[in-house]
This record gives sequence, structure tokens and C-alpha cells, in this order.
Amino acid sequence: MTICQFFLQGRCRFGDRCWNEHPGARGASGGRQQPQQQSSVMILGSSRRGWNASNQRYSGVIQPSSFSKSTPWGGSKDQEKSSLGSFEPGTSAGRDREFGLSQNPFALLSPDEQKEEKKLLEGIVKDMEVWESSGQWMFSVYSPMKKEPNISGFTDISPEELRLQYHNFLTSNNLQSYLNSIQQLINQWRKRVNELKTLNTATKVTLLPDVKAGVSQAARVFGFGSGQGPTFGSAGFPLNNSSSDTARNFSFKPSSGFVTAPSENQSVFGSPPAFGATPSASSAATTSASPFGFGKPKITSAASFSFKSPTASGFGPPGFSAFPASLAAGPVGAPGFGSGSFVAGFGGPGSHSNTAFSKPSHNVFGNNNTATSLPVSNGCITTDNVLFTPKDQLTVEELEQFQSRKFTLGKIPLKPPPVELLNI
Amino acid sequence: MSLFGTTSGFGTGGTSMFGSTTTDNHNPMKDIEVTSSPDDSIGCLSFSPPTLPGNFLIAGSWANDVRCWEVQDSGQTIPKAQQMHTGPVLDVCWSDDGSKVFTASCDKTAKMWDLNSNQAIQIAQHDAPVKTIHWIKAPNYSCVMTGSWDKTLKFWDTRSSNPMMVLQLPERCYCADVIYPMAVVATAERGLIVYQLENQPSEFRRIESPLKHQHRCVAIFRDKQNKPTGFALGSIEGRVAIHYINPPNPAKDNFTFKCHRSNGTNTSAPQDIYAVNGIAFHPVHGTLATVGSDGRFSFWDKDARTKLKTSEQLDQPISACCFNHNGNIFAYASSYDWSKGQE
Repeated sequence: MTICQFFLQGRCRFGDRCWNEHPGARGASGGRQQPQQQSSVMILGSSRRGWNASNQRYSGVIQPSSFSKSTPWGGSKDQEKSSLGSFEPGTSAGRDREFGLSQNPFALLSPDEQKEEKKLLEGIVKDMEVWESSGQWMFSVYSPMKKEPNISGFTDISPEELRLQYHNFLTSNNLQSYLNSIQQLINQWRKRVNELKTLNTATKVTLLPDVKAGVSQAARVFGFGSGQGPTFGSAGFPLNNSSSDTARNFSFKPSSGFVTAPSENQSVFGSPPAFGATPSASSAATTSASPFGFGKPKITSAASFSFKSPTASGFGPPGFSAFPASLAAGPVGAPGFGSGSFVAGFGGPGSHSNTAFSKPSHNVFGNNNTATSLPVSNGCITTDNVLFTPKDQLTVEELEQFQSRKFTLGKIPLKPPPVELLNI
Repeated sequence: MSLFGTTSGFGTGGTSMFGSTTTDNHNPMKDIEVTSSPDDSIGCLSFSPPTLPGNFLIAGSWANDVRCWEVQDSGQTIPKAQQMHTGPVLDVCWSDDGSKVFTASCDKTAKMWDLNSNQAIQIAQHDAPVKTIHWIKAPNYSCVMTGSWDKTLKFWDTRSSNPMMVLQLPERCYCADVIYPMAVVATAERGLIVYQLENQPSEFRRIESPLKHQHRCVAIFRDKQNKPTGFALGSIEGRVAIHYINPPNPAKDNFTFKCHRSNGTNTSAPQDIYAVNGIAFHPVHGTLATVGSDGRFSFWDKDARTKLKTSEQLDQPISACCFNHNGNIFAYASSYDWSKGQE
């Protein structure tokens, strides 16, 4: 969605009704929806709303141009991320405006999942804050959303159990050890809550399996269908949606890698028409499609191909590498969603990305120069080093992975490949 | 509403912690206090079924005892009898004919107390404290269902020392409720299982918990035809989820609401969140009452999704509650529920 210029100036006269994106305003509108509703229900329901609302607007739009609208997504994403802290979990309404934008199911779903993930993480942070400040019972399991599995690190102890222990220790005159163990439990809990509150990349990685299941469920709800697809997306999500810059970097890198891929193997990405097709306006869209194309598991060869090509084409972003690996195994469709999360990255670097991706050719690396400027334009990265890792910064295992023909699942490096290893 | 008019049975306890209760918030609602209440926290309350004339209230406490009072229409409570366990009593329930009371205790046993003879015999054994006990009366069988922290659900014929049936739970049983033919068990790790009791108790469905935190209490409600159709689940996070088993529109019919929080509307300041210790449904009107660690009880209408009334704050948490069989009397127990540890 386009950013509303008037809102940025503070004088949008449509306010909530405005069809354009009001970055940062979502928290206010979404927050009101909270009481007496299941949050998960809200997300589904309101996302549908978002679809309809936007689809009305864009119903007549052909695919490519709708993709071009995705360019501001990256920009708005940045702004959303900056105001991440202020977002309430119930801000699905705001995000949903971006959901139904394009007609291409891939682009549709990936931002969906991405948003889900982000919402979940925000929800977690908020819940942790509330938990700590509210004085509620601390020995309880927790899950960020209704249908999700519990987050690890919390144990369930009911007050009765604790009291019984107290009574037992009382009789055995061992009260001190009881108190000590309680103190230990409390400390453990505090630590875990703080971890989740601050949500750095380390905790994110551990949260991944917890949230992934949830995201995949959410994805299923959205009708993605393929079992593996959502996990791809989620694999990429924490990396991409984290507020850390490194994630942002990754999202850019795949773009460069992917762009080369289509050029070499059009058929592989045949399904995302945007890919081979309309390079012009739909460029951003196409690029967004390309990762989706990668996602297309039916092209298992492509999947592996895409991994090989990365070594040749500056593949880099672990997020994407994760996708292809899983893609190779998985069914069609959904993986595209995961890669869709990178759309934001693609869209983000504004018009530059358009031009860069509009020519799926070996010039991609020529375009990479613009790609490297993308991070700059988004303000995340300012050096070329971010795109590639200097060889000495890689561990032996990572180096090995980059040098091999294919990535092995579980060992996919989280850093982009060194420039020396790229075969252009 | 006159139904909630005669509230009575205010049992107090909690010797250990809240010692300094010199404020007169002891009974702010000016409800009738039960005489000779237990010495320690009350874990459970239960009123006699309609088959018994008059109203009898049973309360199990952490002082290892179970006490029985007769509650007269005037509100007078007369202590009637008492039984002891070797461990704190966690749950009590009546048999359907009102002649026996079943008590579940931390001493890993459950006892059947025959009120006429004032004898109590052990009828159940678990490997861990028995947290819930319910009487099931089916057309072709009747038994006692006990849920325990040893992750099993056992069904006992009171005459035999072996369980009729043992069902495995995914985790420790935290709370349960039974209205034939439906039983709901909420376990640790946010587990939620519904059983159907016709013919033979069997697992009907495992439900994804609608709540994000630990389950604390559950109560089944009926529909207009008096058939159990759903349940209310309370958590430690001051939230109650209303869940229908087979709703026509799950997304809209099932909902959660926040309760027992310190400042309801002011969302900017950090709230104090209290656990929901007990939920009880009015047998006639279908409205529900929740009691919480904040020392309040509230009445809600789940169909209109509104709050009907909230009590004043008592100085101690309210740990248990119960309606009598026709809904004229609402009993609640104010005693420390360990929500702040051993402080």
C-alpha cells in the first residue's frame, strides 16, 4: 500500500477510512478491539476485512502493477518496525490493510505470515511486560496465541502444589531448602521473562520452533495448505522481522541471489509469472515473486538449484537458504509465503529494487551494486561488507557449507557468503 | 436480583499468612458468616443436591478437615459434622442422593463419608494428591471420578478398591467438572480434554486452550434444554474463557473476558492481575460467578456478555465458591490461596 502523504503531514482527512497506509497509526486503532474477543479470532477476522477492503480498491489491478504497490511495504515496514514497541498485539486491523493488496496469492500470503509472526513476537513482549508488572502467578506456562504450543522455559506449578510442598517441608523442618528452591524457581522465571521481553536474536532462534508451529497453523488457516511452506516462512521471519539490522540485511541479499536465479532457469520460476514476465513496473513484485518461485517446491530441482546458484550468485541470506532446503522437500506453494516475507525487503529499497530486479539477467550483480545501496536506503546497512561476509569471519563449518554444492539442512550458515566464494 | 440476594456461608480461614487483618474488610458485603469455620484455607465448597431437603454445605480445608454445616433459610448456619484426612482436602462433592460426601485430599486418597453413620471410608488411591473428585450418575453406571497430579483420571466404584477405569492425562489434573454426559478436565501445560460419559467414560475431544496461561478452574454450563453444552475456563491471568463444544459459529460464540484485575478500564497503568480461583454457574439462570485472588467475586451473564455485579474487595483472596441447588444461596470462602507464595 502506498503511504499516505497527507497522513505523514498530519492532515489526512480520511483517517481510518483512508485506503493508504498510515504508518504508526495502527496501534491506536487496533488497540480498541481488544476486550472480549479472542485475539486469534480477531486476527483472522480482521485480516479478511483487510482483504476485502483492499481488494475493492485494487480489484481491477493487474498483477504486475499490484506488485509495484508493494514497494512502499518495505518502507512502511521500516516505520512499523520503528514503532514496534508501541504496537499492541491487537493491531491486526492495521496490518491487515496491507494483506489484501495484491492479487497474487504469493505476495498476499507472505506478508500475511510475516505480519503474523511479528504480531506474535510483539504479543509475547507485551505479555511478558504485563506478566511481570501485574503480580500474577508466575509459575505458569505461557503461549503467545490461543492455538499455539507453550513457549519453552516456563513450568506449570499450581498454587496448591506449591503450598503442599511448603507444608511438607514444614513438617520436615526443612523450610530453608524449600525457600531456596522457591527462590531458584523465581529467578529462573525472571530470567526467562526478561529474555522474552528483550527478544534478541538468540531468543528468537529458540522461539522459532515454538512460534513456527503457531505460524504454520496460522498459515494453514489462511489456506496455505502446504505443510512445509509456512515453516519456511517462519524460518525466515524471525530473521527478517526482527528489529535487528542483521535480519534486514538478509532480506536484501536474497533479492540479489534470486534475481540471478530466474535468469538462469526461467522454467524453474515459471509459476510466479511475475518473475519472468513484466520486469518493468512489476519489478518489485516480480522479485517478490521470485522468492516465491523458489518456494515452489514442485520445482525440487529448482530448489536445489537455487541453492547452488547462491554460491554462484551471492545467495547469502540464511533465511532464504532455509527456504530452499525445506522447499526441496516440501509441497508447493506455501514456501513462497515464507519468501514472501522478504518482499518487504525487496519493496523496501524503493525504486532501486525495481530497476535492479527488472532485469533478470546476469547483470544482477551489476545490479547488486544498487542492491547494496538498498540496505543503505533503508538505513539498515551502510557498508558493502554486510552483503558478504569476509572469509575470515566465517566459521569452518560455515565455510564448508558455502563451498559445498548444496546446503545441508541444519547447517545452513546464518551469515552471507564471502565474496570470494561467489562464482559470478 | 433476588437470586443473589441471600448470600451466606462466608467461611474464613488462613491463619498462616494474612495475619494482620485488622481492617474491617473482613466482610464488606455484610454477608452471613458461617460459624466455626475451618482453621486453615478453604480449598473447596459444595452444596448438597436437591434430593436432600434443606441446604447443607461442605467445605474442605488445608487443615486436613472436612466440615459440614446446615444452612437454614434464615441464613443461620449450624455446624453439623466433621471428618479428618491426613492431608489437606482439595475437593469435595456430594453423591446424587445426598447421603454421601466424597472428599479428595493431598494424602493421595479419596474418602467416602456416609453422613448418616458419620463414617468415612477410603475409596480411591492415587500416586499423587487427588485434586478433583466428582460423582457421576449415568443410567447404566455410577461412579466417582478422581483426577490427580499423577496424570491419571480414575473412575471408582465405591465398593471396590480397584478403579473401574483409568484414563491417562497428558499432564497433572488441575481442575475438572462433570455434568452428565459431559466431563471437562483441565490440566497443566494448558491441556484441556472433554470426555463423554455415556456408556463408559471416554475421551471425546482434546481442545486447544483458549487461554494463554495456566488453567485454574473450570465449570460446565448448560443450554436452554438443560444439557451441558460448554464450559467456562479460568486461568491465573485474570481471564475466563467461555467455550462451547459444538458451537454454530465458533469464532463468534467462543470468547474470553478479563476479570479480577485491578483497574478494568485504565489500560495504560500496569494492572494487577489476579487468578480466577473458582467459577460457578447458577443452576437456574445460567449466569456465572467468578471468584478471584483479588478478594472479589463477580457475577456475569455470558450470553449478554456483561458483568452483572462485583463485590467489594475482601481482605483475603476468595478461594472457592458454590451455588446451592436452586440458586438461592451463593457461598464463597475467603482465605489465602497461596497466590503470593508463603508470604
